Amino acid sequence: MSASIALPGATDRYEAPSTREPLWVKVTLITLALSFFAVFLLLPLGTVFAEALRKGWGTYLTVLVEPDALASIRLTLLVAAIAVPLNLVFGVAAAWAIAKFEFPGKRLLITFIDLPFSVSPVISGLIYVLMFGAQGWFGPWLAEHDVKIIFAVPGIVLATVFVTFPFVARELIPLMEAQGTEEEEAAVVLGASGWQVFWHTTLPNIKWGLLYGVILCNARAMGEFGAVSVVSGHIRGKTNTMPLHVEILYNEYNYAAAFAVASLLALLALVTLGLKALVERQANRQRREALRERAESSGE
Amino acid sequence: MASIRRFSALPGFRLAMGYTLVYLALVVLIPLASVATNTVSLGWESFWRVVADPRVVASYQLSFGASLLAAAINTVFGLIFAWVLVRYTFPGKRLIDALIDLPFALPTAVAGIALATIYSKNGLVGSLFQPYGIDLAYNPNGVLLALVFIGLPFVVRTVQPVLADLEKEVEEAAAGLGASRWQTFVRIILPHLTPALLTGFALAFARAVGEYGSVIFIAGNVPMVSEITPLMIITKLEQYDYAGATAVASVMLIISFVLLLIINALQGWAQTRHGKGG
Amino acid sequence: MGIAIRNISKHFGAFRALDDVSIDIPSGELVALLGPSGCGKTTLLRIIAGLEHADAGSILLDGEDASSQHVRERNVGFVFQHYALFRHMTVFENVAFGLRVKPRKERPSSAEIRKRVYRLLELVQLDWLADRYPSQLSGGQRQRIALARALAVEPRVLLLDEPFGALDAKVRKELRRWLRRLHDEIHVTSVFVTHDQEEALEVADRVVLLNKGQVEQIGSPDEIYDHPNSPFVAGFLGSVNLFHGRVEDGHLHVGEHALPVGEGQGALDEAVGYVRPHEFDLLPATADSGIPAKIERVISVGPVAQIELTREDGELIEVEVYRDALDELGLREGDRVSLRPRAIRVFRKEPLAA
Repeated sequence: MSASIALPGATDRYEAPSTREPLWVKVTLITLALSFFAVFLLLPLGTVFAEALRKGWGTYLTVLVEPDALASIRLTLLVAAIAVPLNLVFGVAAAWAIAKFEFPGKRLLITFIDLPFSVSPVISGLIYVLMFGAQGWFGPWLAEHDVKIIFAVPGIVLATVFVTFPFVARELIPLMEAQGTEEEEAAVVLGASGWQVFWHTTLPNIKWGLLYGVILCNARAMGEFGAVSVVSGHIRGKTNTMPLHVEILYNEYNYAAAFAVASLLALLALVTLGLKALVERQANRQRREALRERAESSGE
Repeated sequence: MASIRRFSALPGFRLAMGYTLVYLALVVLIPLASVATNTVSLGWESFWRVVADPRVVASYQLSFGASLLAAAINTVFGLIFAWVLVRYTFPGKRLIDALIDLPFALPTAVAGIALATIYSKNGLVGSLFQPYGIDLAYNPNGVLLALVFIGLPFVVRTVQPVLADLEKEVEEAAAGLGASRWQTFVRIILPHLTPALLTGFALAFARAVGEYGSVIFIAGNVPMVSEITPLMIITKLEQYDYAGATAVASVMLIISFVLLLIINALQGWAQTRHGKGG
Repeated sequence: MGIAIRNISKHFGAFRALDDVSIDIPSGELVALLGPSGCGKTTLLRIIAGLEHADAGSILLDGEDASSQHVRERNVGFVFQHYALFRHMTVFENVAFGLRVKPRKERPSSAEIRKRVYRLLELVQLDWLADRYPSQLSGGQRQRIALARALAVEPRVLLLDEPFGALDAKVRKELRRWLRRLHDEIHVTSVFVTHDQEEALEVADRVVLLNKGQVEQIGSPDEIYDHPNSPFVAGFLGSVNLFHGRVEDGHLHVGEHALPVGEGQGALDEAVGYVRPHEFDLLPATADSGIPAKIERVISVGPVAQIELTREDGELIEVEVYRDALDELGLREGDRVSLRPRAIRVFRKEPLAA
């Protein structure tokens, strides 16, 4: 989805007079972009930290170590720790089947994998209520056996798994398609077993793309609000993730506390963007190498 | 299973494919099917009563109207961002390039409370408009602002690579044939970018229609005025009106699927055009 | 170890990639699978390796049916068209890979692996590159490392898919001589795929010419060049001039002119004579044999002159002679000459001749 194109020197080739806009156009466009950026992106980000620290560091820290806040942090970490590995394994399996083999219905399968991206988060939560809620398909059975999924942690995990479902697969499929199957075939001819092929040839070639997918998956898992909101039940200290805790505090007009917890999430977003920028370069390099090798060899 | 694919010397197809299908069915397909079966069991009349309820219809108008407008604004500014990021050098460029994805990375609830704070009457930006009698928050304006925020990266990130791939020679050729810079832009560059712009527009629109977290804090949620459709689902759920929630959800799902098909078709179109254009 | 290919057929959907192909490859030979793209040569190579399944037929390696054996068990060496070197491994690790993934019981000690890898790197004359990564190598070096890697497992047969396809002309020429010498040294039965007739004729002991999934001709390079058994083979092995006519009394009659084709050639009502550009003698226009033509253009390419002539009926003929020979005759553009073929291969005219 996001490719960093701004290579140093890449702009030089647009400096020739025949393909240059008048200076005033350039200045206007840059000014527009910078203003929009400041108002719509920098300002909200700055506001989070400013509001969080409005009453000083002391209050900030006190608010964060409050038991309900700590519980929400623990729950968020727990949910991500379950959802991300699940989708990681799925992403690798799906990408292996789709990118390394030919079979009918491949495009349809990819569309299905992308489905969760085009479903409203609220509906992502709703579907699990319809399955496991009191009036849901399995509701009576679950009640009988005293298993709680909706308004409990399992429901939150399920909803999170759903909304973060495509991230890893979607990152790996194009990468592995670009890399083709020759290296794996070479390994098989040389006598490598299935796992040896994967560990020694495939994994090293996709590690950056994999990491990239995991970072995005994790960010969404920790920050998901709508889907989780539907299935959580908002029980303080029990089923509140960090984003839900932010909502509760905000609705109680406890702005300092709401923004304090929000600032942790904003920090997570910044770390994600930083890591993303680092990993993206490597992942793009891997993909470019693969594509270039193909191009070199097909253009004989 | 082995018979539906071409033979390959590589191992693990059955395991990987089997796992993929089972996991996909359990996590995505079966739960989504629950919306369909619940809607069907509702019966046409009660379904229609829910989805044609004036309050719900008002929410469609707001959700789709604001989403269209937001996606249009994002298309214009997305193109400007992509253009300056690919073509110009200026201080802060790398920062912008990295932070443009902030709406993807920032949890929606955080964005929501931040936007509400900034654009409310006493907020940094809201207070500037207050003297002119313009309220930016707790009404449809607020919905629009939130949707513009979350949709921005879609257009930028779909247009940016296409613009970077555009060969400079093509523009030089146009200039050599006597075209002005504006003619070159309108006749050469813009047609090349159109598929990407449309795809970005569709992606931003699809995201905006379903968006919940960043909107509810700033929307005010006044019935008939500033309630978005996802909120209608939540409201019905809170009243334990599962049937009503499902009915509204199925309308949204159908629209999402149509959008998804359009996006796929656009991307296919863009690819073939790209291939031909070389 | 000899390879026997028995009645192999393969379809991809409606496309017939290989149609009842049978070839015997004697032990120790270096064989070229030659043909235009899409003729099925790469598919055949992949079937021999076990990377692809045949729909019908069998592959015998050293007399024993390998059709049901997995690639891993066939013990073949395969050099991929784009080398398929493992990008994240050094040259040493690439070559050692096949030894390291062996089951523990069969795996050599690491000292032994080291010894064998270096022996192979010396064989391909690249032992000084052991610590480099593939991206740091030139195309020709990558190719030789891919070969060393394939040889490390001591394969029964060596299969090479377009081994010189991705290299530039000069390196290509060097490498194919080197491959020929290497083969003379190690004598492992080898099959390579190519679409370049020059490459096949220069390197191989024997050439298998494939077309549309079928074997057109098998023979030594000289045999198939001098005695092509079909118009396709004659046309594929280099440019040719076509003479349509009829054969009678050991002559090909083209219009009012008769060209001797030897007594052995039976009479044909509709025949085509194939003559390569360098197989003409240029005679003065007054000569009483040969076909009259007019020199339209002379293009010098180094020592050789390529001459474009038109026959009386307007058809184009290409002739190649040494420049000094042309100078001796004092011919120039616009002159009229008589062309006498030194050799003609005659085939029955086919409605769909390639």
